[in-house]
Amino acid sequence: MIEEKCQKFDDNELVALSLDDSQYFYCLMKRYEEKLTNYVKRFTYLPDEDIADIVQESFIRAYQHLNDCDCKLKFSSWMYRIVHNQAINFMKKNKKAVKIDWENDDEFVDWLVADTDIEKETIIKHFNEYVKTVIEKLKPIYKEVLVLKFFEDKDYQEISDILQKPMGTVATLVSRAKIQFKQIYEKEKKY
Amino acid sequence: MKKKKSISELTLKTITNKQIKPIPKWEFLAKNWTLWAGILASLIVLIIGLGLVIFGVIDNIISPYFWLIVAVIFFGVSYVLFQKTKRAYIFAKWQVVVTMVLLGLIIGGILFKSGLARRIDKSMETNIPRYRQMAPMKIATWTNPEAGYLSGEIVEINENNFEIKDFAGKAWTIVGKPLVKGRVQMQVGEEIKIVGSQEDENTFEATEVRPWTGRGQNMMKENY
Repeated sequence: MIEEKCQKFDDNELVALSLDDSQYFYCLMKRYEEKLTNYVKRFTYLPDEDIADIVQESFIRAYQHLNDCDCKLKFSSWMYRIVHNQAINFMKKNKKAVKIDWENDDEFVDWLVADTDIEKETIIKHFNEYVKTVIEKLKPIYKEVLVLKFFEDKDYQEISDILQKPMGTVATLVSRAKIQFKQIYEKEKKY
Repeated sequence: MKKKKSISELTLKTITNKQIKPIPKWEFLAKNWTLWAGILASLIVLIIGLGLVIFGVIDNIISPYFWLIVAVIFFGVSYVLFQKTKRAYIFAKWQVVVTMVLLGLIIGGILFKSGLARRIDKSMETNIPRYRQMAPMKIATWTNPEAGYLSGEIVEINENNFEIKDFAGKAWTIVGKPLVKGRVQMQVGEEIKIVGSQEDENTFEATEVRPWTGRGQNMMKENY
């Protein structure tokens, strides 16, 4: 019932309505539950129950801080930022390293091979064998940026708002990620 | 079989059961204003600090180290507080640093040029008992008669010369026809700096007389 009513409202309108009625916040949660769960899953590799805890804690935190919502940004960027920070805190608290569920995604593979002498076919063929291992060896910040760019389809502005880094830095991180990937890939290939 | 509840349903249940409410807007506004007030206050101290550093270095009257430490500390405070603001992340770190340093130097430079830095130094000396110990006057530079620099208080004015007592308490007879620069009142009790050459043990030939706390743009060149 409420979900039908919510359809006509955009995120920012739902934020304003949620301040008076938590039912509207339920609509916002419904809109982002799956996306955020997949994001945390991809970026933490944690068991489902831990992921559910992180997402739930993030929703509660977002609800408490609705009056502080930086709604000049996209609501989704604000929500991703909260869930990202919550996940990082969880990982630190539980001494777990960021481990990502990389996929043999076409756009990602295209980006990996562009401007390098690595062949696309080689990457696809060896993706599960050692390309994943190479990507795992990248610095955590590079991995975080790559997940947002290629698997969450966020643009540089959104990544900047989520990770709270200048846009120029985000662009630098993406290009450095590839340099580091290439270096590790070449090194690994020798053995 | 009972359907498993979604995260959204569970969260809404928690919000309802625990009666969780959004934190009031005024709390965020108060926090934000306090943060910006803190940034403004520490920037003001940074600017004053840099103004006094410029005063110390260019006029070479006070040692600038105390104010340099103050400026460095409040630069750090301003930087840390600014990084806590909502949109700080859109600026690169170097942009924040360069902007703060330039702002401090430009407004601090205006403080110096307008004479406000000197007045702040005087006012601190009057109102804060141990201030002069922290930012001492550079007497040593001007108590070096062999190098042609002397300073002290006029104790007697005669027809062809005058006498001073330097800051170490030694009496000197000042001869010559010096060029009197700045707002020097040639009268007993006036504190002055003298440029010239030492004639003998107690006599100094002056070519220039300047006020002790006055402003002299070329002193750096002459001192080093």
